[in-house]
Amino acid sequence: MKTIEWQYLIVSYLFLGGLSAGLFFVSALTEVFRNGDSPKEEIARVGALLAPWPVMIGCTLLVFDLGHWYRFYKLFLHFRWESPMSIGSWLLLFFIGVSVLYAYGWIPSSVRKAIFAKLPTRLRFLQILNRDVSSWRRALAIAGLPMSVGVAIYTGVLLGAVQSRPFWNTNLVAQLFLFSALSGGCALLILVLGASSRKFEMHEFQSLYLLDVSFLTLEFFIVVPYFIHGELSVEAVRQSLRLVLGGPFTILFWVFFMGLGLLLPWAIEVYEALPLLLRHAQFVPRVDTATVAAPGAAVSILADTGEQAPSRKLHFSRGWAAAAAVLVLMGGVLVRYIFVFAGQMSTIQ
Amino acid sequence: MTNRPKRYALAIDAKKCIDCKACVVACRAENGVPLGKSRNWINEELRGDWPRLMEVFEPEQCHHCEEPACVRVCPTGASYKRSDGVVAINPSECVGCRYCMIACPYDARFFREDLGVVEKCDLCARRLDRGELPACVETCPSKVRIFGDLNDPTSEIHQILEKRQYRVKKREAGTGPNIYYLL
Repeated sequence: MKTIEWQYLIVSYLFLGGLSAGLFFVSALTEVFRNGDSPKEEIARVGALLAPWPVMIGCTLLVFDLGHWYRFYKLFLHFRWESPMSIGSWLLLFFIGVSVLYAYGWIPSSVRKAIFAKLPTRLRFLQILNRDVSSWRRALAIAGLPMSVGVAIYTGVLLGAVQSRPFWNTNLVAQLFLFSALSGGCALLILVLGASSRKFEMHEFQSLYLLDVSFLTLEFFIVVPYFIHGELSVEAVRQSLRLVLGGPFTILFWVFFMGLGLLLPWAIEVYEALPLLLRHAQFVPRVDTATVAAPGAAVSILADTGEQAPSRKLHFSRGWAAAAAVLVLMGGVLVRYIFVFAGQMSTIQ
Repeated sequence: MTNRPKRYALAIDAKKCIDCKACVVACRAENGVPLGKSRNWINEELRGDWPRLMEVFEPEQCHHCEEPACVRVCPTGASYKRSDGVVAINPSECVGCRYCMIACPYDARFFREDLGVVEKCDLCARRLDRGELPACVETCPSKVRIFGDLNDPTSEIHQILEKRQYRVKKREAGTGPNIYYLL
Protein backbone atom coordinates (compact mmCIF):
# COMPACT_ATOMS: atom_id res chain seq x y z
CA MET A 1 0.00 0.00 0.00
CA LYS A 2 1.46 3.30 -1.09
CA THR A 3 1.55 5.86 1.69
CA ILE A 4 3.71 8.88 2.51
CA GLU A 5 5.31 7.58 5.68
CA TRP A 6 7.85 10.29 6.37
CA GLN A 7 6.23 13.65 6.73
CA TYR A 8 6.75 16.99 8.43
CA LEU A 9 8.67 15.71 11.45
CA ILE A 10 11.24 14.16 9.14
CA VAL A 11 11.38 17.27 6.94
CA SER A 12 11.99 19.38 10.05
CA TYR A 13 14.64 17.03 11.33
CA LEU A 14 16.48 16.96 8.00
CA PHE A 15 16.52 20.76 8.02
CA LEU A 16 17.50 21.16 11.68
CA GLY A 17 20.16 18.46 11.55
CA GLY A 18 21.65 20.08 8.47
CA LEU A 19 21.50 23.51 10.10
CA SER A 20 23.48 22.30 13.11
CA ALA A 21 26.01 20.62 10.90
CA GLY A 22 26.38 23.81 8.89
CA LEU A 23 26.75 25.98 12.00
CA PHE A 24 29.33 23.65 13.47
CA PHE A 25 31.19 23.40 10.18
CA VAL A 26 31.45 27.16 9.72
CA SER A 27 32.35 27.74 13.36
CA ALA A 28 34.97 25.00 13.42
CA LEU A 29 36.43 26.05 10.08
CA THR A 30 36.71 29.63 11.33
CA GLU A 31 38.27 28.49 14.59
CA VAL A 32 40.84 26.29 12.89
CA PHE A 33 41.94 28.90 10.36
CA ARG A 34 41.43 32.19 12.16
CA ASN A 35 45.00 32.61 13.48
CA GLY A 36 43.98 34.71 16.42
CA ASP A 37 41.83 37.08 14.37
CA SER A 38 39.39 38.47 16.92
CA PRO A 39 36.34 39.37 14.75
CA LYS A 40 36.42 35.84 13.45
CA GLU A 41 36.44 34.63 17.03
CA GLU A 42 32.94 36.06 17.29
CA ILE A 43 31.81 34.03 14.25
CA ALA A 44 33.28 30.89 15.78
CA ARG A 45 31.73 31.60 19.18
CA VAL A 46 28.22 32.35 17.94
CA GLY A 47 28.34 29.35 15.60
CA ALA A 48 29.52 27.07 18.38
CA LEU A 49 26.91 28.26 20.86
CA LEU A 50 24.08 27.87 18.32
CA ALA A 51 25.19 24.56 16.80
CA PRO A 52 23.94 21.94 19.30
CA TRP A 53 20.35 23.21 19.59
CA PRO A 54 18.80 22.58 16.17
CA VAL A 55 20.11 19.03 15.97
CA MET A 56 18.90 18.23 19.48
CA ILE A 57 15.43 19.54 18.65
CA GLY A 58 15.56 17.65 15.35
CA CYS A 59 16.51 14.39 17.04
CA THR A 60 13.64 14.82 19.49
CA LEU A 61 11.31 15.13 16.50
CA LEU A 62 12.86 11.99 15.01
CA VAL A 63 12.27 10.06 18.20
CA PHE A 64 8.64 11.15 18.27
CA ASP A 65 8.23 10.05 14.67
CA LEU A 66 8.96 6.45 15.71
CA GLY A 67 6.18 3.97 16.39
CA HIS A 68 6.77 4.27 20.14
CA TRP A 69 9.17 7.01 21.13
CA TYR A 70 10.57 5.06 24.09
CA ARG A 71 11.83 2.31 21.79
CA PHE A 72 14.48 4.62 20.32
CA TYR A 73 17.15 3.12 22.59
CA LYS A 74 17.02 -0.03 20.47
CA LEU A 75 18.77 1.95 17.73
CA PHE A 76 21.78 2.04 20.03
CA LEU A 77 21.79 -1.65 20.84
CA HIS A 78 22.77 -2.45 17.27
CA PHE A 79 25.18 -1.19 14.70
CA ARG A 80 24.43 -2.19 11.11
CA TRP A 81 26.85 -0.70 8.61
CA GLU A 82 24.52 -1.55 5.71
CA SER A 83 21.77 0.66 7.11
CA PRO A 84 22.28 4.40 6.60
CA MET A 85 19.87 5.00 9.46
CA SER A 86 21.97 2.95 11.86
CA ILE A 87 25.15 4.75 10.82
CA GLY A 88 23.30 8.06 11.07
CA SER A 89 21.97 7.38 14.57
CA TRP A 90 25.44 6.73 15.91
CA LEU A 91 26.86 9.67 13.99
CA LEU A 92 24.21 11.96 15.47
CA LEU A 93 24.98 10.70 18.95
CA PHE A 94 28.69 11.48 18.62
CA PHE A 95 28.10 14.74 16.79
CA ILE A 96 25.74 15.99 19.50
CA GLY A 97 28.31 15.04 22.13
CA VAL A 98 31.14 16.87 20.39
CA SER A 99 29.05 19.93 19.52
CA VAL A 100 27.78 20.27 23.10
CA LEU A 101 31.31 20.00 24.46
CA TYR A 102 32.54 22.48 21.84
CA ALA A 103 29.77 24.92 22.74
CA TYR A 104 30.66 24.47 26.41
CA GLY A 105 34.23 25.41 25.59
CA TRP A 106 32.98 28.70 24.14
CA ILE A 107 30.92 29.78 27.16
CA PRO A 108 32.79 32.68 28.77
CA SER A 109 34.28 31.54 32.06
CA SER A 110 32.52 34.34 34.00
CA VAL A 111 29.13 33.09 32.76
CA ARG A 112 30.04 29.50 33.53
CA LYS A 113 31.14 30.39 37.06
CA ALA A 114 28.00 32.41 37.63
CA ILE A 115 25.84 29.46 36.57
CA PHE A 116 27.65 27.02 38.83
CA ALA A 117 27.54 29.46 41.74
CA LYS A 118 23.74 29.33 41.57
CA LEU A 119 23.54 25.54 41.83
CA PRO A 120 21.41 24.35 44.74
CA THR A 121 23.29 22.46 47.45
CA ARG A 122 21.76 19.14 46.42
CA LEU A 123 23.37 19.44 43.00
CA ARG A 124 26.79 20.41 44.31
CA PHE A 125 28.30 17.25 42.86
CA LEU A 126 27.83 18.84 39.42
CA GLN A 127 30.68 21.17 40.34
CA ILE A 128 32.88 18.53 38.80
CA LEU A 129 31.71 19.88 35.43
CA ASN A 130 32.81 23.39 36.30
CA ARG A 131 36.03 23.36 34.34
CA ASP A 132 37.59 25.41 31.66
CA VAL A 133 37.64 23.45 28.40
CA SER A 134 38.38 26.45 26.20
CA SER A 135 41.81 25.04 25.46
CA TRP A 136 40.07 22.06 23.79
CA ARG A 137 38.28 24.25 21.26
CA ARG A 138 40.70 23.66 18.44
CA ALA A 139 40.94 19.93 19.02
CA LEU A 140 37.14 19.65 19.25
CA ALA A 141 36.78 21.72 16.09
CA ILE A 142 39.13 19.43 14.19
CA ALA A 143 37.45 16.29 15.57
CA GLY A 144 33.98 17.64 14.85
CA LEU A 145 34.58 18.90 11.32
CA PRO A 146 34.35 15.48 9.63
CA MET A 147 31.40 14.61 11.88
CA SER A 148 29.53 17.74 10.85
CA VAL A 149 30.12 16.95 7.18
CA GLY A 150 28.96 13.41 7.94
CA VAL A 151 25.75 14.59 9.60
CA ALA A 152 25.03 16.98 6.75
CA ILE A 153 25.66 14.43 4.04
CA TYR A 154 24.06 11.49 5.81
CA THR A 155 20.59 13.00 5.58
CA GLY A 156 20.91 12.81 1.81
CA VAL A 157 22.47 9.36 1.89
CA LEU A 158 19.52 8.17 4.00
CA LEU A 159 17.18 9.09 1.18
CA GLY A 160 19.49 8.13 -1.66
CA ALA A 161 20.26 4.64 -0.41
CA VAL A 162 16.99 3.05 -1.47
CA GLN A 163 16.77 1.66 -4.97
CA SER A 164 12.97 1.70 -4.96
CA ARG A 165 12.67 5.51 -5.03
CA PRO A 166 14.21 6.74 -8.28
CA PHE A 167 13.76 10.39 -7.32
CA TRP A 168 16.28 9.89 -4.53
CA ASN A 169 18.49 7.15 -5.80
CA THR A 170 21.50 9.22 -6.84
CA ASN A 171 24.56 10.50 -5.03
CA LEU A 172 23.60 14.03 -6.06
CA VAL A 173 20.88 14.14 -3.40
CA ALA A 174 23.48 13.66 -0.68
CA GLN A 175 25.65 16.41 -2.15
CA LEU A 176 22.70 18.72 -2.56
CA PHE A 177 21.74 18.24 1.09
CA LEU A 178 25.35 18.72 2.17
CA PHE A 179 25.79 22.10 0.50
CA SER A 180 22.30 23.20 1.40
CA ALA A 181 23.11 22.39 5.04
CA LEU A 182 26.42 24.24 5.01
CA SER A 183 24.94 27.30 3.35
CA GLY A 184 22.07 27.20 5.87
CA GLY A 185 24.63 27.34 8.67
CA CYS A 186 26.28 30.37 7.04
CA ALA A 187 22.93 32.04 6.52
CA LEU A 188 21.82 31.64 10.12
CA LEU A 189 25.15 33.05 11.29
CA ILE A 190 24.81 36.06 8.99
CA LEU A 191 21.29 36.57 10.31
CA VAL A 192 22.21 36.27 13.99
CA LEU A 193 25.44 38.27 13.79
CA GLY A 194 23.73 40.94 11.71
CA ALA A 195 20.91 41.23 14.20
CA SER A 196 23.11 41.33 17.28
CA SER A 197 23.29 44.66 19.05
CA ARG A 198 27.01 44.20 19.52
CA LYS A 199 29.22 46.65 17.66
CA PHE A 200 29.97 44.77 14.52
CA GLU A 201 32.01 45.91 11.59
CA MET A 202 30.57 44.91 8.28
CA HIS A 203 33.84 43.65 6.87
CA GLU A 204 33.75 40.91 9.47
CA PHE A 205 31.06 39.22 7.43
CA GLN A 206 33.24 38.77 4.42
CA SER A 207 34.35 35.22 5.19
CA LEU A 208 30.73 34.18 5.82
CA TYR A 209 29.65 35.77 2.56
CA LEU A 210 32.37 34.06 0.59
CA LEU A 211 31.54 30.71 2.15
CA ASP A 212 27.83 31.11 1.54
CA VAL A 213 28.28 32.20 -2.06
CA SER A 214 30.55 29.19 -2.64
CA PHE A 215 28.06 26.77 -1.08
CA LEU A 216 25.12 28.21 -3.02
CA THR A 217 27.12 28.03 -6.25
CA LEU A 218 27.98 24.39 -5.57
CA GLU A 219 24.34 23.70 -4.74
CA PHE A 220 23.28 25.19 -8.06
CA PHE A 221 25.80 23.10 -9.95
CA ILE A 222 24.44 19.99 -8.26
CA VAL A 223 20.82 20.71 -9.14
CA VAL A 224 21.76 21.16 -12.81
CA PRO A 225 23.42 17.74 -13.27
CA TYR A 226 20.67 16.19 -11.16
CA PHE A 227 18.26 17.05 -13.95
CA ILE A 228 20.62 16.36 -16.83
CA HIS A 229 21.55 12.92 -15.49
CA GLY A 230 17.97 12.18 -14.55
CA GLU A 231 16.68 13.01 -18.00
CA LEU A 232 19.35 10.79 -19.54
CA SER A 233 18.63 7.94 -17.14
CA VAL A 234 16.24 5.00 -17.24
CA GLU A 235 12.50 5.41 -17.62
CA ALA A 236 11.75 5.20 -13.89
CA VAL A 237 14.05 8.13 -13.12
CA ARG A 238 12.64 10.24 -15.95
CA GLN A 239 9.14 9.44 -14.72
CA SER A 240 10.06 10.49 -11.19
CA LEU A 241 11.46 13.82 -12.43
CA ARG A 242 7.99 14.61 -13.80
CA LEU A 243 7.08 15.35 -10.16
CA VAL A 244 9.11 18.56 -10.39
CA LEU A 245 8.89 19.02 -14.15
CA GLY A 246 5.19 19.52 -14.72
CA GLY A 247 4.02 17.62 -11.65
CA PRO A 248 2.72 18.68 -8.24
CA PHE A 249 6.03 20.13 -7.01
CA THR A 250 6.97 22.12 -10.12
CA ILE A 251 6.17 25.63 -8.92
CA LEU A 252 7.44 24.93 -5.43
CA PHE A 253 10.72 23.64 -6.81
CA TRP A 254 11.47 26.11 -9.58
CA VAL A 255 9.94 29.32 -8.26
CA PHE A 256 10.25 28.97 -4.51
CA PHE A 257 13.34 26.79 -4.14
CA MET A 258 15.44 27.49 -7.23
CA GLY A 259 14.30 31.09 -7.69
CA LEU A 260 13.66 32.51 -4.25
CA GLY A 261 15.61 30.06 -2.12
CA LEU A 262 18.78 29.68 -4.18
CA LEU A 263 19.32 32.07 -7.09
CA LEU A 264 17.91 35.22 -5.49
CA PRO A 265 19.98 35.00 -2.27
CA TRP A 266 22.95 34.02 -4.41
CA ALA A 267 22.44 37.14 -6.52
CA ILE A 268 22.02 39.33 -3.44
CA GLU A 269 25.15 37.97 -1.83
CA VAL A 270 27.20 38.18 -5.00
CA TYR A 271 26.07 41.76 -5.49
CA GLU A 272 26.96 42.56 -1.91
CA ALA A 273 30.30 40.83 -2.10
CA LEU A 274 31.18 41.87 -5.62
CA PRO A 275 33.80 44.46 -4.72
CA LEU A 276 35.45 41.83 -2.58
CA LEU A 277 35.34 39.20 -5.28
CA LEU A 278 36.47 41.39 -8.16
CA ARG A 279 38.88 43.85 -6.65
CA HIS A 280 40.26 42.10 -3.60
CA ALA A 281 38.88 45.00 -1.65
CA GLN A 282 37.44 44.80 1.84
CA PHE A 283 33.95 45.66 2.90
CA VAL A 284 34.30 49.20 4.08
CA PRO A 285 31.92 50.63 6.61
CA ARG A 286 31.30 54.40 6.71
CA VAL A 287 34.83 55.74 7.14
CA ASP A 288 36.87 58.73 6.22
CA THR A 289 39.01 58.70 3.14
CA ALA A 290 42.06 58.98 5.26
CA THR A 291 41.48 55.66 7.02
CA VAL A 292 40.97 53.71 3.81
CA ALA A 293 44.40 52.33 3.40
CA ALA A 294 46.13 51.14 0.29
CA PRO A 295 43.53 49.17 -1.83
CA GLY A 296 43.49 51.09 -5.07
CA ALA A 297 39.98 50.01 -5.94
CA ALA A 298 38.38 51.50 -2.89
CA VAL A 299 40.25 54.73 -3.35
CA SER A 300 39.21 55.04 -6.96
CA ILE A 301 35.57 54.64 -5.97
CA LEU A 302 35.98 57.39 -3.47
CA ALA A 303 37.54 59.54 -6.13
CA ASP A 304 34.52 58.92 -8.40
CA THR A 305 31.77 59.61 -5.96
CA GLY A 306 33.16 62.04 -3.51
CA GLU A 307 33.77 61.34 0.10
CA GLN A 308 30.25 60.89 1.39
CA ALA A 309 29.12 57.48 0.35
CA PRO A 310 31.87 54.89 0.12
CA SER A 311 29.83 52.26 1.98
CA ARG A 312 26.88 52.58 -0.39
CA LYS A 313 29.17 52.14 -3.32
CA LEU A 314 30.66 49.08 -1.71
CA HIS A 315 27.19 47.63 -1.25
CA PHE A 316 26.57 46.49 2.22
CA SER A 317 23.31 46.56 4.00
CA ARG A 318 22.12 44.60 7.00
CA GLY A 319 18.68 44.48 5.45
CA TRP A 320 19.85 42.72 2.31
CA ALA A 321 22.07 40.42 4.34
CA ALA A 322 19.10 39.41 6.49
CA ALA A 323 16.85 38.99 3.46
CA ALA A 324 19.36 36.75 1.71
CA ALA A 325 19.86 34.70 4.87
CA VAL A 326 16.12 34.21 5.41
CA LEU A 327 15.70 33.19 1.77
CA VAL A 328 18.53 30.66 2.04
CA LEU A 329 16.96 29.14 5.15
CA MET A 330 13.55 29.02 3.46
CA GLY A 331 15.15 27.30 0.48
CA GLY A 332 16.72 24.79 2.85
CA VAL A 333 13.36 23.87 4.33
CA LEU A 334 11.70 23.73 0.92
CA VAL A 335 14.26 21.52 -0.76
CA ARG A 336 13.89 19.00 2.04
CA TYR A 337 10.13 19.17 1.93
CA ILE A 338 10.12 18.63 -1.83
CA PHE A 339 12.60 15.78 -1.72
CA VAL A 340 10.99 13.95 1.19
CA PHE A 341 7.50 14.07 -0.28
CA ALA A 342 8.29 13.73 -3.99
CA GLY A 343 10.75 10.93 -3.30
CA GLN A 344 8.15 8.84 -1.53
CA MET A 345 5.71 9.43 -4.37
CA SER A 346 8.21 8.19 -6.94
CA THR A 347 8.35 4.50 -7.71
CA ILE A 348 9.68 1.97 -10.17
CA GLN A 349 6.85 1.30 -12.60
CA MET B 1 18.28 -36.78 0.46
CA THR B 2 20.78 -33.98 0.90
CA ASN B 3 20.21 -31.57 3.72
CA ARG B 4 19.89 -28.46 1.55
CA PRO B 5 18.48 -25.29 3.11
CA LYS B 6 14.93 -24.57 2.10
CA ARG B 7 14.13 -21.72 -0.25
CA TYR B 8 10.45 -21.03 -0.03
CA ALA B 9 8.79 -19.27 -2.94
CA LEU B 10 5.39 -18.68 -4.42
CA ALA B 11 4.29 -19.18 -8.01
CA ILE B 12 1.10 -17.42 -9.04
CA ASP B 13 -1.03 -18.56 -11.95
CA ALA B 14 -2.78 -15.23 -12.25
CA LYS B 15 -5.00 -16.34 -15.14
CA LYS B 16 -6.91 -18.52 -12.71
CA CYS B 17 -7.59 -15.69 -10.29
CA ILE B 18 -11.26 -14.74 -10.03
CA ASP B 19 -10.76 -11.84 -7.58
CA CYS B 20 -12.79 -13.55 -4.84
CA LYS B 21 -10.37 -12.16 -2.21
CA ALA B 22 -10.57 -15.30 -0.11
CA CYS B 23 -6.77 -15.10 0.26
CA VAL B 24 -7.03 -11.59 1.70
CA VAL B 25 -9.71 -12.67 4.16
CA ALA B 26 -7.85 -15.83 5.17
CA CYS B 27 -4.70 -13.81 5.78
CA ARG B 28 -6.61 -11.26 7.82
CA ALA B 29 -8.07 -14.02 9.99
CA GLU B 30 -4.82 -15.94 10.36
CA ASN B 31 -2.58 -12.99 11.15
CA GLY B 32 -4.98 -10.61 12.88
CA VAL B 33 -4.51 -7.94 10.22
CA PRO B 34 -6.57 -4.86 11.12
CA LEU B 35 -9.18 -3.53 8.71
CA GLY B 36 -7.81 -0.96 6.31
CA LYS B 37 -4.44 -2.71 6.13
CA SER B 38 -3.52 -5.80 4.22
CA ARG B 39 -0.62 -8.20 3.96
CA ASN B 40 -1.75 -9.36 0.53
CA TRP B 41 -3.88 -7.77 -2.14
CA ILE B 42 -5.14 -8.29 -5.69
CA ASN B 43 -4.12 -5.86 -8.43
CA GLU B 44 -6.78 -5.20 -11.03
CA GLU B 45 -5.97 -4.01 -14.49
CA LEU B 46 -8.26 -3.29 -17.41
CA ARG B 47 -6.74 -4.22 -20.74
CA GLY B 48 -7.82 -3.64 -24.34
CA ASP B 49 -10.25 -1.23 -26.00
CA TRP B 50 -13.99 -1.35 -25.95
CA PRO B 51 -15.69 -3.62 -26.88
CA ARG B 52 -12.80 -6.04 -26.52
CA LEU B 53 -12.03 -5.64 -22.88
CA MET B 54 -10.34 -7.89 -20.40
CA GLU B 55 -9.96 -7.52 -16.66
CA VAL B 56 -6.77 -8.99 -15.29
CA PHE B 57 -6.36 -9.94 -11.64
CA GLU B 58 -2.97 -10.41 -10.10
CA PRO B 59 -2.50 -11.28 -6.44
CA GLU B 60 0.53 -9.77 -4.78
CA GLN B 61 2.24 -9.69 -1.39
CA CYS B 62 5.77 -9.54 -0.02
CA HIS B 63 8.12 -10.99 -2.64
CA HIS B 64 10.52 -12.47 -0.07
CA CYS B 65 13.47 -11.17 -2.06
CA GLU B 66 16.87 -12.83 -2.19
CA GLU B 67 18.52 -9.55 -1.23
CA PRO B 68 15.75 -7.63 0.48
CA ALA B 69 16.10 -3.85 0.53
CA CYS B 70 14.02 -3.74 3.72
CA VAL B 71 16.46 -5.98 5.56
CA ARG B 72 19.43 -3.96 4.36
CA VAL B 73 18.10 -0.60 5.54
CA CYS B 74 16.66 -1.77 8.87
CA PRO B 75 18.67 0.02 11.58
CA THR B 76 18.06 -2.57 14.29
CA GLY B 77 17.97 -5.84 12.39
CA ALA B 78 14.27 -6.29 13.19
CA SER B 79 13.69 -7.15 9.53
CA TYR B 80 15.59 -10.29 8.74
CA LYS B 81 15.75 -13.18 6.31
CA ARG B 82 15.21 -16.63 7.72
CA SER B 83 17.34 -19.52 6.59
CA ASP B 84 14.34 -20.91 4.68
CA GLY B 85 14.11 -17.71 2.61
CA VAL B 86 11.19 -16.10 4.43
CA VAL B 87 11.67 -12.38 5.07
CA ALA B 88 10.22 -11.72 8.50
CA ILE B 89 10.00 -9.00 11.13
CA ASN B 90 10.85 -9.35 14.78
CA PRO B 91 8.33 -6.93 16.33
CA SER B 92 10.20 -6.64 19.62
CA GLU B 93 13.20 -5.10 17.82
CA CYS B 94 11.18 -2.87 15.46
CA VAL B 95 11.33 0.80 16.44
CA GLY B 96 8.74 1.86 13.88
CA CYS B 97 10.99 4.14 11.80
CA ARG B 98 9.31 2.89 8.61
CA TYR B 99 12.50 3.08 6.57
CA CYS B 100 11.77 -0.45 5.33
CA MET B 101 8.40 0.66 3.97
CA ILE B 102 10.14 3.33 1.95
CA ALA B 103 12.83 0.93 0.77
CA CYS B 104 10.43 -1.81 -0.38
CA PRO B 105 9.99 -1.61 -4.18
CA TYR B 106 6.68 -3.46 -3.90
CA ASP B 107 5.11 -1.37 -1.13
CA ALA B 108 4.36 -4.65 0.58
CA ARG B 109 4.63 -3.33 4.13
CA PHE B 110 2.27 -1.37 6.32
CA PHE B 111 2.50 0.41 9.64
CA ARG B 112 0.49 -0.76 12.64
CA GLU B 113 -0.21 2.51 14.42
CA ASP B 114 -1.72 0.62 17.37
CA LEU B 115 1.41 -1.47 17.93
CA GLY B 116 3.95 1.03 16.60
CA VAL B 117 5.57 -1.58 14.39
CA VAL B 118 5.72 -2.47 10.72
CA GLU B 119 4.07 -5.65 9.47
CA LYS B 120 3.92 -7.62 6.26
CA CYS B 121 3.43 -11.09 4.83
CA ASP B 122 5.74 -13.68 6.41
CA LEU B 123 4.25 -16.56 4.41
CA CYS B 124 2.55 -17.55 7.68
CA ALA B 125 5.89 -18.50 9.19
CA ARG B 126 4.23 -20.06 12.24
CA ARG B 127 2.17 -22.34 10.01
CA LEU B 128 5.27 -23.23 7.94
CA ASP B 129 7.07 -24.22 11.13
CA ARG B 130 4.19 -26.57 11.93
CA GLY B 131 4.43 -28.04 8.43
CA GLU B 132 1.30 -26.33 7.13
CA LEU B 133 0.77 -24.17 4.06
CA PRO B 134 0.35 -20.40 4.22
CA ALA B 135 -3.29 -19.44 4.80
CA CYS B 136 -3.69 -17.75 1.42
CA VAL B 137 -2.37 -20.81 -0.41
CA GLU B 138 -4.54 -23.22 1.51
CA THR B 139 -7.71 -21.22 1.04
CA CYS B 140 -7.47 -20.25 -2.65
CA PRO B 141 -10.49 -21.88 -4.34
CA SER B 142 -9.15 -21.65 -7.89
CA LYS B 143 -5.65 -22.95 -7.07
CA VAL B 144 -3.89 -19.78 -8.22
CA ARG B 145 -1.08 -20.16 -5.70
CA ILE B 146 1.62 -22.79 -5.80
CA PHE B 147 3.81 -22.71 -2.73
CA GLY B 148 6.92 -24.75 -2.09
CA ASP B 149 10.65 -25.15 -1.75
CA LEU B 150 12.61 -24.15 -4.85
CA ASN B 151 15.59 -26.18 -3.65
CA ASP B 152 13.56 -29.40 -3.64
CA PRO B 153 13.50 -30.81 -7.20
CA THR B 154 10.44 -32.92 -6.39
CA SER B 155 8.34 -29.95 -5.26
CA GLU B 156 5.44 -28.80 -7.40
CA ILE B 157 6.78 -25.26 -7.65
CA HIS B 158 10.18 -26.47 -8.79
CA GLN B 159 8.64 -28.61 -11.49
CA ILE B 160 6.18 -26.02 -12.70
CA LEU B 161 8.86 -23.34 -12.97
CA GLU B 162 10.96 -25.79 -14.96
CA LYS B 163 8.18 -26.28 -17.48
CA ARG B 164 6.35 -22.98 -17.70
CA GLN B 165 7.40 -19.47 -18.53
CA TYR B 166 7.14 -16.89 -15.81
CA ARG B 167 8.03 -13.32 -14.95
CA VAL B 168 8.97 -11.53 -11.76
CA LYS B 169 7.98 -7.96 -10.97
CA LYS B 170 10.40 -5.03 -10.93
CA ARG B 171 13.44 -7.18 -11.57
CA GLU B 172 15.38 -3.96 -12.17
CA ALA B 173 15.12 -3.09 -8.47
CA GLY B 174 17.75 -5.78 -8.06
CA THR B 175 16.32 -7.36 -4.95
CA GLY B 176 15.73 -10.80 -6.46
CA PRO B 177 11.99 -11.25 -5.87
CA ASN B 178 10.62 -14.73 -5.18
CA ILE B 179 7.06 -14.47 -6.43
CA TYR B 180 6.90 -16.01 -9.88
CA TYR B 181 3.99 -15.01 -12.09
CA LEU B 182 3.24 -17.79 -14.57
CA LEU B 183 2.58 -16.58 -18.10
